[in-house]
Amino acid sequence: MTRREWLALAGATAGIRGRLGAVSAPAPSAPVAIARCRSYNEDIAAILAGMFDQLGGLPGLVRNKTVTIKLNLTGSPALRFQGRPPAVTHYSHPKTVAAMAHLMGEAGARRIRLVESCWATAGPLEEYMLDSGWNVRSLQGAAANVEFENTNALGKGKRYSRLKVPGGGRIFPAYDLNHSYEDTDVFVSMAKLKNHATCGVTLSMKNIFGITPASIYGDDAGAGEPNESPGKGRVEVCHLGRRQPAKSAPGEVDRSSSRDPGFRMPRIVADLVAARPIHVAFVDGIETIAGGEGPWIPGIRAVEPGVMVLGANPVNTDAVATAVMGYDPRAGRGKPPFSSCDNTLLLAESLGVGTADLGRIEVLGLKVAEARFKF
Amino acid sequence: MLLALLLITGTADWVPARWMSNDPKSLDLVAGTPVNCLLVEERLWSAPFAGRAKELGIATLGVVRPGGDPVASAKKAAATGLTGLALEGEFDDAVVAEIKPAVELTTRRRIRWDGPADILGTRQGLWPGIQIQESGAAKAAPTGGPWIETNTGFLRFARALTDKTIWTANTPPPKTLFSAERYLQAIADAAIAGARWVLAFDGDFTRRLLEGEAMALRDWKRIAAELRYFESHREWAGLASAGQLALVEDTGSGALMSGGVLDMIAAKHTPVRPVPGSKLSDDRMKGAKLAVNVDPAGLNAEQKEVLRRFARAGGTLLSGPPGWNFPSASGDAITLSKEDTDKLDGIWREMNAVTGRRNLGVRLFNVSSMLSNLLAAPDGKQVVLHLVNYSNYPVEAITAHVLGSFQKAALYRPEGPPQPLKPFPVEEGTGVEIDRLAVVGTVVLE
Repeated sequence: MTRREWLALAGATAGIRGRLGAVSAPAPSAPVAIARCRSYNEDIAAILAGMFDQLGGLPGLVRNKTVTIKLNLTGSPALRFQGRPPAVTHYSHPKTVAAMAHLMGEAGARRIRLVESCWATAGPLEEYMLDSGWNVRSLQGAAANVEFENTNALGKGKRYSRLKVPGGGRIFPAYDLNHSYEDTDVFVSMAKLKNHATCGVTLSMKNIFGITPASIYGDDAGAGEPNESPGKGRVEVCHLGRRQPAKSAPGEVDRSSSRDPGFRMPRIVADLVAARPIHVAFVDGIETIAGGEGPWIPGIRAVEPGVMVLGANPVNTDAVATAVMGYDPRAGRGKPPFSSCDNTLLLAESLGVGTADLGRIEVLGLKVAEARFKF
Repeated sequence: MLLALLLITGTADWVPARWMSNDPKSLDLVAGTPVNCLLVEERLWSAPFAGRAKELGIATLGVVRPGGDPVASAKKAAATGLTGLALEGEFDDAVVAEIKPAVELTTRRRIRWDGPADILGTRQGLWPGIQIQESGAAKAAPTGGPWIETNTGFLRFARALTDKTIWTANTPPPKTLFSAERYLQAIADAAIAGARWVLAFDGDFTRRLLEGEAMALRDWKRIAAELRYFESHREWAGLASAGQLALVEDTGSGALMSGGVLDMIAAKHTPVRPVPGSKLSDDRMKGAKLAVNVDPAGLNAEQKEVLRRFARAGGTLLSGPPGWNFPSASGDAITLSKEDTDKLDGIWREMNAVTGRRNLGVRLFNVSSMLSNLLAAPDGKQVVLHLVNYSNYPVEAITAHVLGSFQKAALYRPEGPPQPLKPFPVEEGTGVEIDRLAVVGTVVLE
């Protein structure tokens, strides 16, 4: 694949074509790279660089650009599975993050902003990372101009950015988000290869649910204005729909719609991915957990699939990652891993974000069968 | 004087352990370790054992419990050649006065703070560790991390109340097997508060140790190494709690309980110095910027005036609401009921809102399975930060941001020599990073 083709594909994912239900062209498809990586002690930057090369190279995408990298730091850093560091179970790993930032810097990124909506706090992301056992100082040194922002509230911005869902949205018509999700040229989702209790799988797309600020969408969000000191999760507003977000943000499209989390969450995620397109989708399957997204899910187990998945299109990437986990990415509701939920991949596909059809996705590096690790 | 026969010297240096053998050969296990005081059940009292212990410089205390004739037991102990007695349980004042035990292991409420004994002890030591719910999950603390059962809140208060040696004791619950880590945690839990845990092993470990099983001997060495570590740094036990948050509490306002306000604050890794209401003075409040007065009604006029002066000088004072009293635990309970814990929520939430992310001495990161104690030399030039890990897994990548500027830092551990740390400037003062901590470590900054 040439750099020109890579850029064309990356550009294609940035613009959602058509309105909901009116997408006539086939959903986009871009190559996805799979690489073997057995341990976080391997040269992750070199492996990742090779994957980017397989996809067409990085400089054209990020040179002189602001790159925003959304991490997956779900749940309190104090919650551990069997006392293990969260980075080897359910969090992004600092070594993959450092490698990504380093490569972005080498490729000429002007600014690299690491972001996450930290659970139940509006405090600095750096402190949240320290609480997770990350070495923030070495992360700062991974590239020039590395910034950090906790997007769980207004943060360093002066106002929230309203990002509309193309086609009007299935749950919310638009989302009020931290400025970081608008003030960026390139958006990267760094996810973990995991199951999700509500959505079946949590990969590069489900990771984007975390861009919603708890100040507005949290259980203790203000009724009228955002609560800039959020201290809870987003179950009431998003999962269950028992209350509306702060009135400063758009309310639900249809308040009579199902309150089933298995209905709502996949739609919210698909809508978010359409509203805030992902340019680089990365899934860390080196060490992770199976059976759920975090230590609060009963029955999870630590696993070591030893793979990384990278692509320019989040639906394509997640489709490949889902197949690596041993599932059919096009499985409907009622079939694993979507036993009690709708399939986020198909919902995003119907929005024209990308195809979940493995037959239309070019896989580079390892074949799916070679990488497969049954979850 | 009944126990004039018993020679009791150097009690402040005693490092105690319950010993379940009267075989003189078993003392070879003890010789060369810091353990130098054995508590022996009456059924195991033996002259050859006591004699051999004396030769090795090991004190032997005969354990006497209520129900028998304590005076007769004292005579028997003297005749056997034991060093002294440990009264375990609740005894009449007259009996205690007559027998003059080396130590009373009583309930926390009955500790004779102003009595003549050099050692104050309680048998109500909580087995420290991460609290596990019936479901098998760890119970959550205010931080969202696991709730840690600890004696430190009580012991730190005791340390602030008296300079005497403090022992805390218990026995392993029946049919329970503890890992070596659990014993190490119990030792450290007391030692970071300047107290001593009375070693007591479960039946299985005791048997294996006395039989010389290799694994048990290896664990015994680790236990001895940790004891040696704390005993070789007894100067730390004399340091005062540091930090800008003072907690005014007393024996009647929850200070004797575990799981009270101090433990809640400690679970948030906020340094706090307990100030007994009865000892409240301007000097005790020196350096504090925030004070929590748990039980305003429990203070006399003079003590209340100290807090008024503190507030007038710019300190922030949080008090329990008017008419609010600390939940009074029933009987000899040492932990709060859920209902009582809920009552504390109000004062806890208010305090939490005021402290927020403020650095009140030190801020710690990646320490969810740990507790800490910040101590300082009187001139403030040396700061000592104890860390105890209550999980059975080592913790990696711990960061501490300490108030003040320090040029040198080192991590002391039982496993090896002090490890130099490289301090770096942070917004609040000085930062240090610890790569890995097994059970216990102490950061010393100068």
